[in-house]
Amino acid sequence: MHWSLFACAGLVLIGVHSLKLPVVGGRLGAIAAFVCGLLFAVVAVKTTVNASGIGRTTDFDKIVNAAVAEAKQDDRPLIVFTGASYSRNGLDPERLTIALNEAGYRYRAINLSIEAASLIERDSHLQQFMKLSERVPEVVFVEVAKPFDHRAAFMFGNSKFNARAIEQFDLKTSAWTGFGIVGGACEGKAGCIKDAGFLSLHAALNFFNIGLIGRGEKPEAAGTLLSYDPQDDPRQESEPADANNILPVTDWTAPQWVRSYRTIMRDRLLSTGVQTVGYYQPPVISPDHRMYVAALCADELAAFPCIDPNDPELLEPLTEPLWFDPEHLLDDGAAIYTRWLAGELIDSGVLAAPTLATAASEVAQ
Amino acid sequence: MIFTDAIFFAFLAIVFSGYWLIKGKEARLSLLLVASAVFYGWWDWRFLGLIGFVILVSWAVARFAAARPIGDKNRRRALIFGISANLLVIAVFKYFGFFADSAAMALASVGIDPGWTVLNILLPVGISFYVFQAISYIVDVARGDLAPEHRLRRVALYIAFFPQLVAGPIVRAASFFPQMERTKAFTGALFFAGLRAFALGFAYKAGIADNLAQFIDPIYGDPAVMGDTDLAPWSNFSLIGATLAFGGLIYFDFAGYSLMAIGVARWFGYYIPKNFDYPYSSPAIDDFWRRWHISLSSWLRDYLYIPLGGNRHGEGKTYRNLMVTMVLGGLWHGAAWTFVAWGAMHGAALAVHRALFKGKRALGFGLGLLATQLFVLLTWVPFRAESFGDTVTVWTAFLGLRDGGSLTLSPLVWLVLPLIALDAALGRGLLKQITQLPLWRRPVFYWSGLGMTAGFILALYPLEAAPFVYFQF
Repeated sequence: MHWSLFACAGLVLIGVHSLKLPVVGGRLGAIAAFVCGLLFAVVAVKTTVNASGIGRTTDFDKIVNAAVAEAKQDDRPLIVFTGASYSRNGLDPERLTIALNEAGYRYRAINLSIEAASLIERDSHLQQFMKLSERVPEVVFVEVAKPFDHRAAFMFGNSKFNARAIEQFDLKTSAWTGFGIVGGACEGKAGCIKDAGFLSLHAALNFFNIGLIGRGEKPEAAGTLLSYDPQDDPRQESEPADANNILPVTDWTAPQWVRSYRTIMRDRLLSTGVQTVGYYQPPVISPDHRMYVAALCADELAAFPCIDPNDPELLEPLTEPLWFDPEHLLDDGAAIYTRWLAGELIDSGVLAAPTLATAASEVAQ
Repeated sequence: MIFTDAIFFAFLAIVFSGYWLIKGKEARLSLLLVASAVFYGWWDWRFLGLIGFVILVSWAVARFAAARPIGDKNRRRALIFGISANLLVIAVFKYFGFFADSAAMALASVGIDPGWTVLNILLPVGISFYVFQAISYIVDVARGDLAPEHRLRRVALYIAFFPQLVAGPIVRAASFFPQMERTKAFTGALFFAGLRAFALGFAYKAGIADNLAQFIDPIYGDPAVMGDTDLAPWSNFSLIGATLAFGGLIYFDFAGYSLMAIGVARWFGYYIPKNFDYPYSSPAIDDFWRRWHISLSSWLRDYLYIPLGGNRHGEGKTYRNLMVTMVLGGLWHGAAWTFVAWGAMHGAALAVHRALFKGKRALGFGLGLLATQLFVLLTWVPFRAESFGDTVTVWTAFLGLRDGGSLTLSPLVWLVLPLIALDAALGRGLLKQITQLPLWRRPVFYWSGLGMTAGFILALYPLEAAPFVYFQF
């Protein structure tokens, strides 16, 4: 909580106790004055809150805090993966760090992923991570997934009207999401109308600072939460046999809004000192979704490191019941993917040359 | 569905529009009754049967009693039956578990295993409020103070009127029935009267009370989870601060709900009297009870304290009556011995105050205010604590007799105090230089001030509305 809670409450009490009688005036003038007063309060609150660095904290802030704590205790170069639930369940940074270190590559892997995270939300939390940890990762890998690219407001399929949903739809995110919806990045006409409606509501709730003062706090005070969320038991039946079904590469392309945002994000990361920006997707059973990533790697993202999971060497072992559900791996599946990913990273050449004197103690960490 | 939920605003908009579009009085009453049933059934439709039973019994008993002359044995029997039936409802649904548990503990303490399993009965929301309204109706009719209402729909609406159904204020039939007959017209004055009460209540509840819970729950525990408190690690200042925050929360929460109920009722053309009058500015305990939960304290006075004899049979019996009234008032708040203790302490305080000061203000305003409010604050401890053990721990923190733990609450909690003081000063007209600024009379400042206030309320509005504290009573 923040002192502005009480300042705001005091102003509200003065307002409600003082403004007793409706003062008659011109209707238009009254509306204009009311709107001006409302906007003044909105801006005043935003200014105060921004100056204090507080916001509606979410689990993503906790994940960032945990990653910051790890990064601050470790002087190895960082390789950061940022994604949604595919990565949260499927990418174990500890195993990846060990695999890379054992191969002589002195890196520390960080997972910055949370369920239903849009590209913009991931971008802002990556910035937050860099600011709080005061470190610039050597390599950043950004998860690519068809459902996210083709539904700009994917978040609403997962959750609505909570702190995370409201906090993320600031002016910038709302504009980008609106850009996506207008461009058809939604599920049919009805889906577009629904997403546009939810977007408007969330943008309004964000604009009017709902929940900001009452529960606002500095992100670093939110506590910590590990991003990697290993699962041991399936929550839904899957058909793992389809995991090894590799379709021919099609001419799938990503919608314009996400192509544009990826470019902006990549350029900014590179300009802030990140050496390499790459793309990846943990495996999913749906061959269609996997081939989407393959298509992007062959086209839009061809100039960048792009690790698509359509490799029989990875997929063959995943035909076993190693799935939490058709889109997420169990912990044993994540172990297979992480081992494979380490090999792909090494093969891709994005990592600096191996340090022969990889300390055994670092491996043990 | 609570007043600060988005769903309530949708419900209100539909009912409000329908109500003023319909012309006939009877149709409007029907609409309000249906709306009240929907509102109440929203929690659990099964509760509708219970409130229906209370309505039917009250309507039938009042008619039966009124048909017999005053002093007639059957009229008296009808009164006893009506009160008993209503008390039975509340006894079963609210107190059965409490008394059964207490009896089991008493038996166990003398080595007898009662061997029964107590059913965990779901507490119907608002039961304490509407049962008290029903009892007051029966008593008023049986006493001959009020003519019985023969039309069931009117009795039903009196008991189930949705603005005050679940948490009061407890309305008297004598003030409500005539309002149902009055022809109502929608005017700007009516709308603004409702808006002002609702906005103040909304600011109290959503803006302040809901945000104070974050200071209290970490220490006193989540009210929904019994047995999760551990006060030991907390510093003494934190325990005092959390108690202070609870004092603020319960006031802003309950006064806020009452004001919103008053505001909503105004929008339908009904007048509900105020329930709070800045009780934290009271310089004496009797004054506090004239300002805190006014509808309950006046109900207890009229239907319990005075029938017991009030102050008409000597000092000794007056003290006894005060104690009985306040102990039962405490029990009304909740089925737990901590509430009984809270009521007993207030009863004792009223008796001591009466014995020492005979209704005079002997301490002066400042000292009286300090003593009264410190006492009220200390008594909030058993009201909120989960057990007497926790109560004693917090009291020892107040007295500095406890080695505090290392966990500390944000010192911001102390800002609750100036907030309460500001509210009381503004409400009681002590800051007229602010509230009556000539500036506010100029339309541009009035409307922009209103806009700013709305903007600040929105910023305070919590993401998750907390249920009203008094719903559990």
